[in-house]
Amino acid sequence: MANDRKKMFAKHMEIKFTQEHGTNKMVGGEITDKTVTYHRLGVDQNPRKLEMKKAGVELAAKRGLVGYNPMMHCGGIPLGQRALTPSFLSGTDDMVEIDDLHYVNNAAMQQMWDDIRRTVIVGMDMAHETLEKRLGIEVTPETINHYLETLNHALPGGAVVQEHMVETHPALVDDCYCKMFTGDDELADEIDKQFLIDINKEFPAEQAEQLKAAIGKTSWQAAHIPTIVSRVTDGAQTSRWMAMQVGMSFISAYSMCAGEAAVADLSYAAKHAGVISMGEMLPARRARGPNEPGGISFGHFADIVQTSRKTPENPANVALEVVGAGCMLYDQIWLGSYMSGGVGFTQYATAAYCNNILDDNLYYNVDYINDKYDGAATTGTGNKVKATLEVVKDIATESTIYGIENYEKYPTTLEDHFGGSQRATSLSAAAGSAVAIATGNGNAGLSGWYLSMYLHKEALGRLGFFGYDLQDQCGATNVLSYQSDEGLALELRGPNYPNYAMNVGHQGGYAAITSAAHAGRGDAFAANPLIKVCFADSLLPFDFTKPRKEFARGALREFEPAGERSLIIPAK
Amino acid sequence: MAYELQYYPGATSVAENRRKHMSGKVEKLREISDDDLTLVLGHRAPGSDYPSTHPPLAEMGEPECSIREIVEPTPGAKAGDRVRYVQFVDSMYNAPATPYFRSYAAAINFRGVDPGTLSGRQVVEARERDMEELAKFQIETEMTCPALAGLRGATVHGHSLRLPEDGVMFDMLDRVRKEGDVIVMHKDQVGRPIDKKVNLGKPMSEAEAAKRTTIYRVDNVAFRDDAEVIEWVHRVFDKRTIYGFKPEN
Repeated sequence: MANDRKKMFAKHMEIKFTQEHGTNKMVGGEITDKTVTYHRLGVDQNPRKLEMKKAGVELAAKRGLVGYNPMMHCGGIPLGQRALTPSFLSGTDDMVEIDDLHYVNNAAMQQMWDDIRRTVIVGMDMAHETLEKRLGIEVTPETINHYLETLNHALPGGAVVQEHMVETHPALVDDCYCKMFTGDDELADEIDKQFLIDINKEFPAEQAEQLKAAIGKTSWQAAHIPTIVSRVTDGAQTSRWMAMQVGMSFISAYSMCAGEAAVADLSYAAKHAGVISMGEMLPARRARGPNEPGGISFGHFADIVQTSRKTPENPANVALEVVGAGCMLYDQIWLGSYMSGGVGFTQYATAAYCNNILDDNLYYNVDYINDKYDGAATTGTGNKVKATLEVVKDIATESTIYGIENYEKYPTTLEDHFGGSQRATSLSAAAGSAVAIATGNGNAGLSGWYLSMYLHKEALGRLGFFGYDLQDQCGATNVLSYQSDEGLALELRGPNYPNYAMNVGHQGGYAAITSAAHAGRGDAFAANPLIKVCFADSLLPFDFTKPRKEFARGALREFEPAGERSLIIPAK
Repeated sequence: MAYELQYYPGATSVAENRRKHMSGKVEKLREISDDDLTLVLGHRAPGSDYPSTHPPLAEMGEPECSIREIVEPTPGAKAGDRVRYVQFVDSMYNAPATPYFRSYAAAINFRGVDPGTLSGRQVVEARERDMEELAKFQIETEMTCPALAGLRGATVHGHSLRLPEDGVMFDMLDRVRKEGDVIVMHKDQVGRPIDKKVNLGKPMSEAEAAKRTTIYRVDNVAFRDDAEVIEWVHRVFDKRTIYGFKPEN
């Protein structure tokens, strides 16, 4: 394998490091240069920092209390002693300011999390059985359509069976709705198209068949409560809000008695027996209910991201979109804010989804695997290589050394991934995803992740920060552990898995490895077919087929979020 | 036959340098006076007494304890010194040391030290005079090049950045400068200006740094070429994986 191939990061490095941005004087030279001039221009070199500085001055004047002042940094030495450079979202040509990849500054990132947190899947079959077998009420496609019409009025906050009720303003909750899906083509044909997530239409034929076989004749509601509700409350609210409106809608649509005992059964089904949350409730020490990020398993997350139905022929792209989305949610929002606080976690996460450095490493691996293992990195099941430690060692070692040598041959990439934790995430995600694609086995991929960490540490005499790499030193031991809680299938692990609970820079990678294993096989889903179908819906504000592009739109201030309050606040 | 410490595998100069760092058998290249060391560390004024957090152990009337009888306290512990730190940043452009090998060197060769290892910096906390002993050792020997390594308590950014034209690793706080043919430090570890410039000695030439470094680089000694080290990493990986799967093996 020639590793002097055209580097996917080359163009982005050239623009970042050899062309001026703002007034950073980063002009000329080569991306292979080992020396550079440091102009120490401070924040005034960067357009976004200038905007922020001006806002800080205005804020202080307006409220009579100082706020953002870049000269407070290091006692008067502001950021920008090295050149402040922009970044590109990997897989795109969208150049953005790095500040705009903090989720506070990025509406798309906020909406991605909103769209997950406000989603719940509720089975319809238990309710239908209650109606039919207990109350003798006939359920037909027509009654289902009528029920869904009722629910789409009630779910955002419309009243259905009571007088003199307060209701929410539809323009404030316009992102709230419920659709349904089923593996039963006959039933699907009878459902009003506005309410249906059509598996046959949204997925490639082979994936659609897999999904319909997994879902069978069951039918499900994909519900998204209002973003504004979810933001005011929390993820645990989602199923409760949904269940209350489901109950009201059944009462109304099927002309039930509001107090009859069957209503309790419908409510129980919607709140407990027939509900799929995106994330599990966390133990008391983490103190979070369902549908908070710490409870979202890597398998669920791999299914939430929808790239696999758009580029099934390219498992590397699937993994790369998952790593971007996963690093944003798990690192920037979950660990960075829920668990830690502060703003620094953005730097760990962005390394995995900016400037094509990880992408280059993974696509190199795909070529390496296809050359050496007879096309094992192409989508399929008959072409996979058996998951052995020898295969893990071969692919992960080649991947890691290739990636390390890029940092050495292209000093600008080393400067871009200026922290060891950033490099470790990128190198290990490439190695792990590559092994997963080649073997179709997530735990083999995880094994490759850990070997990459070991090799990286020995090559460079350094790895991540204190808390970053301690898990990686012992991680290989839990990949195939005979103890079920330690040796769990990667699909079922999540941020609260032992050793992962404060594991910044890792969890997006683990989700990517999960998705890589299944995308490599051509699977329609990784862990849960219901979640995969639920998010196959273009009506969601965030486009889960291309998260990195969406983050770019957010950074460029082009993304239109939901849940805005403009209607009820003074116009500016 | 007496056991001989092995330290580290590998047949390259990088592997050999790693063994030297771990064994403590490193070459002394320069000297730094006690007062200069105190200045750059920035924990107390040169010549001042060591602040203490408890009376000397001999005056404390320690409880009866078999461990205390076995373990001789370090000088700093004996005197009741407070715990202070020294933190190094080592450039990835062939600085002699790397964070893990600074930590190994400290933990193997010094008592009462608490090394912390990150990617861009390496900290050792210890009783103040014990820490100073280690700091002096590392600054004065081939473990440190004053241009490619820095003493930085905070704002450590620079280990992975390209070198400026003068070869002195980027430091946002500009604590060290090349003046003539030597490196001088005019701020302490956390960037506070100090009363006099401290001469840290001559920087290593590119060739000397490449010869003494403990980092593998493709433009010097490539990691890919040290087959014994890679084989050893694979063995560690195999054992850890298999141990978790079937511990009796």
